[in-house]
Amino acid sequence: MKSAVTTVITAADAAGRFPNLSDFEAVKASFARAAARMQAAEKLAAGIDNVTADALNAVYKGGKYDQTTRDKCARDIHHYLRLINYCLVVGGTGPLDEWGIAGIREVFRTLGIPTTAYIEAFAYIRSRVCVPRDMDQQAADEFKALLDYVINALS
Amino acid sequence: MLDAFSRAVVSADAKGVCLGSAELAALRRHVADANIRIDATNAISQNISCIAADAVSGMVCENAGMTQPGGNCYPTRRMAACLRDGEIILRYVSYALLAGDPSVLDDRCLNGLKETYLALGVPIKSAVRAVTIMKAATVAIITDTNSGPSAFKDVSGKGSDCKGIAAEAASYFDRVISSLS
Repeated sequence: MKSAVTTVITAADAAGRFPNLSDFEAVKASFARAAARMQAAEKLAAGIDNVTADALNAVYKGGKYDQTTRDKCARDIHHYLRLINYCLVVGGTGPLDEWGIAGIREVFRTLGIPTTAYIEAFAYIRSRVCVPRDMDQQAADEFKALLDYVINALS
Repeated sequence: MLDAFSRAVVSADAKGVCLGSAELAALRRHVADANIRIDATNAISQNISCIAADAVSGMVCENAGMTQPGGNCYPTRRMAACLRDGEIILRYVSYALLAGDPSVLDDRCLNGLKETYLALGVPIKSAVRAVTIMKAATVAIITDTNSGPSAFKDVSGKGSDCKGIAAEAASYFDRVISSLS
């Protein structure tokens, strides 16, 4: 799975060399960001149900979407937020890529699911992250970068 | 391939839950010890031939018939293959140590290694002996208790800081040994 460390090791293995100083620098750089990432992951884990409910209300209150899809939409938003929690922990987009994004276009197209609801929900969550009420600036940056990544993948 | 972080993520995903404070506490300790881990991996990277080539030489010295006609390290082509294998195993151990998880060693090195050695007629006992010497040398270099050049020259107390990580490195060599035997 793609994370900060495994990316380095994959490159070293492809070249058949031992980890060298620039590899160590890359690993160190990812560990330097780890505290912020883990703070974001921890806050998200603690508030995931509230964040989901909040985003869901914002999306469905306009009456643009069929209310019968509400539960399924909640489940999916929760699912993506959980994958973002994982990405924050590993420091790479591996969990989202492998478990959330691979094949997602095909699934949505086949089932006729409008992705705009999800995009609205994640954009709403992105706009609602408040520094320093929710988390530190750096943690919020890491979290928002991953929300953007999901939004891009769904657009 | 997994590292300590993705290992935690995979087990959380199996349960369908987020990683909360409890799981993150263990990972935060991992982050706090990152420099020790990097120093230990660096100690291996800087002593490759001291660990790998010497281990294979040591194995041959204990069994001098190996380099004679009819021995498993005769002719030099086979000795070269043996030296190369020692280095490859050490390389995957160094990856596992850096990642903090043995999956890279299992997936990319040990999977099928025993079968390959049996098919090629490599004596498993001697291979295990070479890995055992590599393990001892690696632990000595990481903890700075070796008699040769110091990995942490002029840095006081560095070797003793690395005792815990040396035990982890030893466990990866044990993994190689148990998968071969």
